[in-house]
Formats: sequence, structure tokens, C-alpha cells
Amino acid sequence: MSRVLTAVFNISFLLLQIDPRQILEESQRRTMTQSQHYEGTLRVIDAKSKITEKRWQYDRIGSHGSSKAVLRFTAPAEVKGVALLVLNHPDRSSDQWMWTPALNRDRRIALQDRSTRFFGTDFSFEDLEERDTNQFDFRLLSEESIDGASCWKVQSTPRQTKVSQYTHSYLWIREDNYAFAQIENYNKDQLVRRAHYSDIRNDQGIWTAHQIDMHDAKRNSHTILRIEKLQYNVPMKDDAFTREALSRES
Amino acid sequence: MGGTGNVRALTLLLFVLLATSNCYSQTYTQRGFLETKNTFYPQEAPNDRAHTVGESLFRYEGFLSPTSSVQLAGALDFRIDTHRQVDRDFQLSWQDREIRRPLGEIRRLSATYHKGPLTFEMGKHFIRWGKSDIVTPTDRFAPRDFLAVVDNDFLAVTAARFNFEKGTNTIEAVWSPRFTPSRIPIPNQRWAVLPELPPGITLRDAGAAFPGGPQSGARWNHTGAIEYELSFYQGFNHLPSFDAVPRFTSSGIQVDVRRFYPKIIMVGGDIAASTPWFTLKGEAAQFNSSDDRADEYALYVIQLERQSGEWFFVGGYAGEAITRPGTRVADFAPDRGLTKTLLGRAGYTIDANRNIVFEAAVRQNGEGVWVKSEYSHLLGLHWRATLNLTLISGNTGDFLGQYHRNSHAMIVVRYSF
Repeated sequence: MSRVLTAVFNISFLLLQIDPRQILEESQRRTMTQSQHYEGTLRVIDAKSKITEKRWQYDRIGSHGSSKAVLRFTAPAEVKGVALLVLNHPDRSSDQWMWTPALNRDRRIALQDRSTRFFGTDFSFEDLEERDTNQFDFRLLSEESIDGASCWKVQSTPRQTKVSQYTHSYLWIREDNYAFAQIENYNKDQLVRRAHYSDIRNDQGIWTAHQIDMHDAKRNSHTILRIEKLQYNVPMKDDAFTREALSRES
Repeated sequence: MGGTGNVRALTLLLFVLLATSNCYSQTYTQRGFLETKNTFYPQEAPNDRAHTVGESLFRYEGFLSPTSSVQLAGALDFRIDTHRQVDRDFQLSWQDREIRRPLGEIRRLSATYHKGPLTFEMGKHFIRWGKSDIVTPTDRFAPRDFLAVVDNDFLAVTAARFNFEKGTNTIEAVWSPRFTPSRIPIPNQRWAVLPELPPGITLRDAGAAFPGGPQSGARWNHTGAIEYELSFYQGFNHLPSFDAVPRFTSSGIQVDVRRFYPKIIMVGGDIAASTPWFTLKGEAAQFNSSDDRADEYALYVIQLERQSGEWFFVGGYAGEAITRPGTRVADFAPDRGLTKTLLGRAGYTIDANRNIVFEAAVRQNGEGVWVKSEYSHLLGLHWRATLNLTLISGNTGDFLGQYHRNSHAMIVVRYSF
């Protein structure tokens, strides 16, 4: 009985003392960089355990709400050159354009279409945005352990200015390094996607997950993104993140 | 650029670029494919009794960036076929003015310089304007290969392009010194539907009168919650009109049919607006001409788009209003032929490797219908097989209906690298 009381007391104390926004802002602050580059290998595993491999190259300039990113497929061969430009904003949803070399044309990804899966992976277009704390309200729920690491479990709800397919998300943030351990995205009470972050390493002072397992609950499929050749703060030019640059292939 | 010597020089340059790519392997990307396409037509056409057509295409594209501000892009096509749609004599073509597809072609060769918000590109390259699908009235620098009318591919244009992109605004100016026409169906093949003539009258292809002057255009695009664009083009229609001159010969009347490409001025625009349910797109253009033989007309398209789960839908209407009829005998104008038409496109992604697409165009008077369904399957990392079924029906007097004998099944196998 006394253990239960102690636990209840600890949790109440925790919930009263810690502002979840501060947790998220600290997490965001610790991942602020001028730029990021990595090569990603994606293994898409469908409900029948059939595996498809894809690869992309990711470049980002700026951080979070003020960042711009270009994601360009490098494999399989037939989608080589297909690219997505994401312009993130601190106060609203991102702008996104997709470049398809076969058409020599870019196409804007409309807000209402962001729940669509991105090129057969389990990531939706919305999942490729950078989250910015200013676009969400937070509520600290509890402390839980993910992969043996103690985490804060925080509920995040998009503000009105943020158009989202998810009504709310649960975020697990590691207490030791403020890195994300897991995110569950819900539409009302239905789990839509779960992103599980693992192989978390310190790269240039930034704790980074080198593996993200995105699970689509409805399709029961997974996409495992392995992050390789990760570099932060590499020199990048702002003009490499425009619609015109999207059509430049290398 | 038209001489054989220039083509050789350009080819040499392309190969030098590709060869030097080893020195810059970190900034060189390449891709390409080998594709074989087999088309089966159940019906014979009056001018073409073949039921099957086989084609193979090898395409190689390379992109070299010797510095962070410069990019060189090159692409080569090599083709063969069973139906003489491809020239049999080897020649590396630059011009894209041949009646048949060239056996070898420099598909693209361009240099791009960019600094800050400025981009300058020159050479042979692709320029796409407009936002709508299937019919794109403002897409004036985009001639196509229409040898098989409903299965067409874009041709590059020789041009200089200046682009300024700053924040939410983009201004682009294009100047093309040399005209690139669309490639039209070959007269003795099924996609050229010739008129039925009384006995004693024959048609003779009198060739083409290619215009010699330059073309130019400019557009301004604004991106925001509502995206819109205004565009202007001055040049020539890349789709031909026809003049006919009758001549009396010993065997009867011979009509010389000559292609010409009328001068046009286009003023147009497009708009895209997102709502919580769908994206609304509109595009319209007015075409005026100083050539009395050509029609003056307006084209417009209104379409709705939506993606939902694994489905995407595009549906709309394309319309036309003739403001001044011309005196020419006939046109080959797929863009106008697909107006007064309801257009639709839907696709479903079955899984990471398989998808199906349906496309349809139905004339509002019901005189022409085109329906295409396509199943595509990616096998491993390199192979893709596609099965395409196309049904065309309608009346001979209708743009779509005239191809009612050309319903077909197509199998495409592609190896990409």
C-alpha cells in the first residue's frame, strides 16, 4: 500500500513540477543544427512480410519550424530522381512539392492529401515535416520505459493553425538525453501510425536515432528507415531548397 | 545546330561529359532504362493492316555538376521497332523534325548555371508550364511525339531559359531560336486517319513549312494559399495545320497536303486552390494569330483533385471557344480535340510494388470515348512490367471517335538502372 502511495505521490509531483512544453522545447533546442545530411535505406515490410527496399538522400537546412528539406530517391532505379521539397513554417503546416523526372514537372502536395503514404512507404507526407513545438499543445501524462530507458509520455495536440490528419499524438521522450523514443499518432481513438526510434547515438553532440520503424496500424505494414552517413552542420546553400532546384537532378 | 557537323560536335561533347564523369564521380548521377513495348491491335485500319507493333527504347541520362553552381545534363535515346515508326538509317538527331522517330537521338543536352535566386539554362531541354493534366493550354514549349496519339511522349526544345525565384514568386523567361514541332502520325499508319476520297482523287504529302523565327515567352507564378500563374507566349503552334492544293494530273486530281505551323500569341493563366476536401485547379488560354488560315480560340480546363488513402482522383472538364474561324483545311490538334470533354483519372496503389491507373475522356456529345486501364508491377529493384488496355469508340467525325479501330492491349517491360 505504501509503495502505491509513493508512486502516486511521485507521479503527482512530476506532473505538477514539469512543464511538458519545456521538455519539448529542450528536446528541440538540443537538436538545433544549421543543416543535416543523411542517406536513408528503407525496408518496406507489408502485412504478408514481403520486403521492398528503397533509398533516399536527405538534406535539410535550418531547424524545425524554419527549416527546408529536400528528399531525393536514389533507388530503386525507376524512381531515381523523384524528389520532395518541404518548406517548414513555425506557425502553420509546411508547403510541399514533389518533382517527378518522367513528367518534368513538380506538383504541390495539398494539405488535404498529406495523409497519403509517401511513395509506397509507411511514412505519410505529413510525417516528413519537421515538428515545431509552437504548433502543438502538450500535456504530460506519465513516466514510462521504452527499450529500458525512462521516458516522459506527453500528449501533443495540434493547434488550429496546424492542419493534421492526427487528432493527437503520444510522444515518449527519453529523460537522459531528450531524444524521441517513440511517437504514436491517433485519429480520435484509433492508432494510425507508430514511429519507434532506436539505435540512438551521439553524433556531433546530437542524440540521433539511426533507425526509425514506422508502423502503419491499419495496413499492418512497417517501414524501417536506417540512417547512414549522417552529418550535421555541413555547408549547404539556401538556393538548393527551391522548386527550381528540385528539378536539378544531382 | 542543324548541320551534321554540329550534331557530331554536340555528340562528342556529350560523350566527353559522360567520360569525364569518372573524375567527378561525387557529383555525377545517371539513370536510364531499356524498355520493350508490344502493342496488339485487334482491328485492322484501312491504311494499316498490322495487328502487332514491337518497339524497344534505350535511354541514358547523365547529370554532371563540375561546380556547385553549374550542371550539365545529357540524355540519349536509341530505338528500334517492327513497324517503321523508327528511321532505319543511323543518325544522331538533334532537331526532332523527322517524320519518323530517329534511331539515335540527343534527347537532352543542356547547361544550367544558378546563383542565389537566379537560374539560367540553355541547350536542348524540357520546359513545362501549367498545372492541369491531360489538357494543359499554357504548356507552349512542350511539343510531343504523337506517333501513337494516345500514348505520347514530350520532346525537348532548343532554348535559353532564365528563372528568378524569390520567396513566393517566380518569374521565368524563355527564348527559343529554333522551332521544334510535334511529331504527328505517319500517313500510312493507323494513327493517321485519312479522309475517304472519291475515285480519281489522291492525296500527296507535300512536306512541311517549318517557321524560321524565334519563339519567346514569360510567366509569373505566385505561391500562397492560392497559387496562380500568368503566362505569355509568342511564336508558333507546335501542332500543325494543313493546306491543300489540288493539281490536275494525267491520272486524276492530286491534292498536295502541306503542313504549316501558324504564328500564335497566347495569353493565359492558371490557378490552384486547396479546400479541405479537394484541390481545385483551373487553366485557360486565349490563342490569337496573325495568320488568317488559323483559328483564334480559347481553351480552358477546370479540374478537381483528391488523394484519399491509396486512391487518387482527378476529374474535370476541358472546353473550347472559337473566337475567329480560320481558313485552313484541317488541323492535327489533340489539345483542342480533347476539349468539350469530361476527363478523369484515378489510381490505386495496391502495395509498394503494384498499382493500377484508370484514365478516361468522354466527349460531351457522346461521339468519342477513350478509356485506358493500366496495371503495373515492380519486380525486384530494376524490372517493371505494365499491362495496358485502351478502348476507343465513337464516330469517325470526332477527334477521339476517329480512332475507334485503334483499341489495343500493350505489354511493356522495362529494366531501369
